Amino acid sequence: MKLGILFSGGKDSYLSMQMAAENHQISCLLTINSLNQDSWMFHTPAIKWTKLQSESLGIPQIIQKTKGIQDEELEDLSKLINNAKKKYSIQGIVTGALASTYQSTRIQKICNGLGLWCFNPLWQLSQEKLLKKLQDFQITSIITGVAAEPFDESWLGQELDSSTINELLSYSKKYRINPAGEGGEFESLVINAPMFEKKIKILSSKILYSNFSGRLEIEEAKLE
Amino acid sequence: MKILLISTCKYKLSEYEFVNPIVEIIKSFEHDIKDYRTLQTINISDYDKIIICGTSLQDNDYLNFLNDFKKLRNSGKQILGICSGFQIICSMFDEKIIKQEEIGMINVKTKNQNSLINGDFQAYNMHNFSVDEVTVFNIIAKSNKTIQIISHKTLNIFGVSFHPEVRNEQIITNFLLI
Repeated sequence: MKLGILFSGGKDSYLSMQMAAENHQISCLLTINSLNQDSWMFHTPAIKWTKLQSESLGIPQIIQKTKGIQDEELEDLSKLINNAKKKYSIQGIVTGALASTYQSTRIQKICNGLGLWCFNPLWQLSQEKLLKKLQDFQITSIITGVAAEPFDESWLGQELDSSTINELLSYSKKYRINPAGEGGEFESLVINAPMFEKKIKILSSKILYSNFSGRLEIEEAKLE
Repeated sequence: MKILLISTCKYKLSEYEFVNPIVEIIKSFEHDIKDYRTLQTINISDYDKIIICGTSLQDNDYLNFLNDFKKLRNSGKQILGICSGFQIICSMFDEKIIKQEEIGMINVKTKNQNSLINGDFQAYNMHNFSVDEVTVFNIIAKSNKTIQIISHKTLNIFGVSFHPEVRNEQIITNFLLI
């Protein structure tokens, strides 16, 4: 089946894509660029670098801008999915939804209305298993945003490897955070993975951080 | 106790979403997962309980295998049908299926004391079909719009229209205790 991936560039949407690619053809990446940093549906600080990911994956991307106002952003998502259906003849959408019935309900309704399949291969997966899967699938991602205690600015730009994953798991017990960031505790960007032809090298970036909230603003990056 | 999980998913990619979360709930029990297309080859007597899992909104392939499911009808096994499994159970007993879309969290009220769940609760629905009346089943829970849980009048066969593996796991664990 030809599929479009709802793609934020983070670990969950990439992992879902790699799982889908085992038996299906990935025709395009669908990215929402929200101007609202507090959007419930779409939130990722490094969204503009999905273009480099698309290039490295060799999979075309459609980007839809949205103001991020609650109902309007759903209309924009619907427009994006419909465009992908027309342009790439996709029969289904893949999302990285894990536990949010708010997000999944809205995406399921849009797909159902358009007669498209909707696949959520990470649905109900535990945070611990998700982190393990990232390692099993050899996905390298970095943290590009934090929004919870006890994350200090040293987390911005850190790779999610066995050492940081162990630290996240210990945080989950001590601070009751979701260790894979499902509650918006942190955001990630995949910089290298099996489906990438080249990895993303960050050449310059700056950290914006205050009071357990911050983001890594990537200024320059390239494929190498 | 040995449990048979029947996947109604046409594609493996849907099983991560509709079968694996149920496996997580029942994993402490011995269980097998079988594909609906292999029903003819399954030895039902090997199992104590059967759970028929749900599938994607666009997935109706299991409807081509309804006759194969009918062999479960007189198996004497305790059966729980979830979402598409609910429709399969209704079809096994010739109840009339109607087109009825429900997607998202809805309020459910239980009508009769039962062994799966009691009181009012919220449930995650995702279906394009349902039933609006039943003859061989008792209605044990309803939303404002539709029938949500049914139990057979004389057999230990249950149907749940929503997805209990999301937010209502106790329905599955209670089924295992019956």
